[in-house]
Amino acid sequence: MTNVAITRRELITTIGKATVPVAVAASLSVEQASAQALPVPPAAVGLLYDATKCIGCKACVAACAEANDTPPDTRRDGLHQAPTDLNDLTRNVIKLYKPAKGGKWSFVKRQCMHCLEPSCAAGCPFQALHKDPETGAVRWDETKCIGCRYCTITCPYHIPRFQWVGFNPRVTKCELCSHRLAKGLKPGCTSVCPTGAVIFGARTGLLSEAKKRIQDNPGRYYQDRVYGETDNGGTQSLYLSAVPFESLGIPELGRESVPERTLKWQKRVYQYLALPAVLYVGLAQVIRKNFKGYEQDAHEQEKKTGLRAQL
Amino acid sequence: MGVLVVVALLFSAYRELAGLGPVSGMNDAYGWGIWKTFNIMVMTALGSGAFAVGIAAWVFRRKKLFPLMRMALLTSFLAYACGLMLLGIDAGRPWNFYWIMFPWNWNFHSPLAEVAVCMSVYALIPLAIENLQPVLERYYYLTPRWRPQIAKINKVLHGYAPWIIGLAYILPMMHQSSLGALMLLAGQRVHPLWQTPWLPLLYVWAAAFMAFGCVAGTTMLCCLIWKRPIDREVLNEAAKITGWLVFGWAALRVLDITIRGALGTAFAFDRFAGVFWLEMLLTVGGAAILWRSIRSGSLPGMFNGYIFVSFGGMIYRFSPTTLAFRPNPEALYFPAAIEVFMSLGFILLGVCGFLFAVKKLAILPAPMHAWYDMANYARFNRPDIQLTGEYGTERVAAGGAQRSWQAGD
Repeated sequence: MTNVAITRRELITTIGKATVPVAVAASLSVEQASAQALPVPPAAVGLLYDATKCIGCKACVAACAEANDTPPDTRRDGLHQAPTDLNDLTRNVIKLYKPAKGGKWSFVKRQCMHCLEPSCAAGCPFQALHKDPETGAVRWDETKCIGCRYCTITCPYHIPRFQWVGFNPRVTKCELCSHRLAKGLKPGCTSVCPTGAVIFGARTGLLSEAKKRIQDNPGRYYQDRVYGETDNGGTQSLYLSAVPFESLGIPELGRESVPERTLKWQKRVYQYLALPAVLYVGLAQVIRKNFKGYEQDAHEQEKKTGLRAQL
Repeated sequence: MGVLVVVALLFSAYRELAGLGPVSGMNDAYGWGIWKTFNIMVMTALGSGAFAVGIAAWVFRRKKLFPLMRMALLTSFLAYACGLMLLGIDAGRPWNFYWIMFPWNWNFHSPLAEVAVCMSVYALIPLAIENLQPVLERYYYLTPRWRPQIAKINKVLHGYAPWIIGLAYILPMMHQSSLGALMLLAGQRVHPLWQTPWLPLLYVWAAAFMAFGCVAGTTMLCCLIWKRPIDREVLNEAAKITGWLVFGWAALRVLDITIRGALGTAFAFDRFAGVFWLEMLLTVGGAAILWRSIRSGSLPGMFNGYIFVSFGGMIYRFSPTTLAFRPNPEALYFPAAIEVFMSLGFILLGVCGFLFAVKKLAILPAPMHAWYDMANYARFNRPDIQLTGEYGTERVAAGGAQRSWQAGD
């Protein structure tokens, strides 16, 4: 190497040393960000489903299929639209919880919860599932989805469903009828509900409505609580029920959202790829030193035996 | 074997037309079948040799492991290449993979994006470049007129070697741990014996000892089949490291389970506890066998030890996505016949590639005298090959070189 003021090696090590605190700072800054409450989209809309008002007529199931232009799922008996669960043709389903031993029973409407911090979007590799910046609806982009089905693994509510048949499969989930919202219409399910068990509105309005119902009917609702106010970091589909939410298939997840709780370290380590980059430079330096030693040994070996060293 | 590979490729074509449902047992509850959970999660762990053996050799200066390096690099490359191929087939909408080339479209905090990007980059760039060495060497010896060019390429490669090797360690470290992080997001749906914040670390650690098992085990098997001498020192070193890795991993795992208070579930009489004890027994028992074989010098014992350790690790890597994954109580997943055929076919594709490479290239470690034999073989049986340089007959006959042949001169 020519006699310059600073060698390449020195330059790299200096830069390397300087980046270590930067990387650590970048990694720690994530913690501060996550300490705050989750931001709610400005025009956050949602659904409020009151299980005590639901009569299980399934008008919403038919209306949902119609609004989303999907053929009715009659695969069960070839006659009735009777999906047993959410599936590739069903974005919205009514189920019945009735314990065999008797006791309180309830219908439940299942569709996407539109979490404030959705697990599906947190895991989606190329942002095919994303949260609408305005309405907060969790939407699917067919031009970006690679069909990895990670969303079906990560969603704690088990909402996104994959189309198993066909060469061009789609991911089916409630998108809060975003195409209807754009036209100024309400989501399909809320437009037909005869008892008002599911209503559509701004999230704040729905929350106060739910709390009012709890106040007006003491002892009617499970734990006097709106599911989705803070659960899983907050959701935009809110639930009121007389029976425990868990028996309706809605898991208790705590106040912290699943991605926040589980990807804490992942986020920190990969923030701006700072730590991996620093680690890489450090590794390369160690290897460089060892590589030189190896080449020297190989050279001597070659002199001794006449055999070209292998790498 | 070749037939099975062809069958698998035909099935792949059928799958692209018909969709995933008709060919696999995957369903809404178990969205991931064995293509992801076995061919990626398990096989790339076995194929982490280039990472685990390499990092022990280059970073922690276990020089005795150098003879195993080529084996490690080859098995890694094949495991990754075949895994990635099947990953492309497993993806429902593979045409959208082109997004991988636009970093602004990545979801930086998604473990899966990390896995997808890192794995492709790793297999296609550093791992492929590292594997170039034996190929270049073959042409160097067999096609003398290419020598100057190959020497030039080698010089460049040697110059960048530390950076390439470094990349070949940081990338697997990232994606092997992210494979574990994948299941973090599944939260409560993974049984508490497996679900832990330490899953990424445990995953990359398991990959390390499984890789040692795979590399050393394959080497032993090859030496046995083709009646080649085995270097005990190398094997002992590898076995020692594997033993430590397994014990460290098992200790961390048990400690973590105890601290999280999930130890009770290990004694529940159910399939989860059964799988857990099977994993622990195979890995720790295998490591114990390995250590005993170092002392007794029993090669069959050592081989069995590697088999047990790798098998235990394979079950561990398989569990969180499948055996210990409980999306809902009534859900079941069992791979369909076509699914198994394709999974097997793509593994066998790797095996075919391995057999081809091992027979064409200098992959297996050989004692020095074998090289002299080879020079003699070439001199008498293949006179068409012009041996110059260090293989020049006079040099071998003279019992050593006077002048060392160097890349530049």
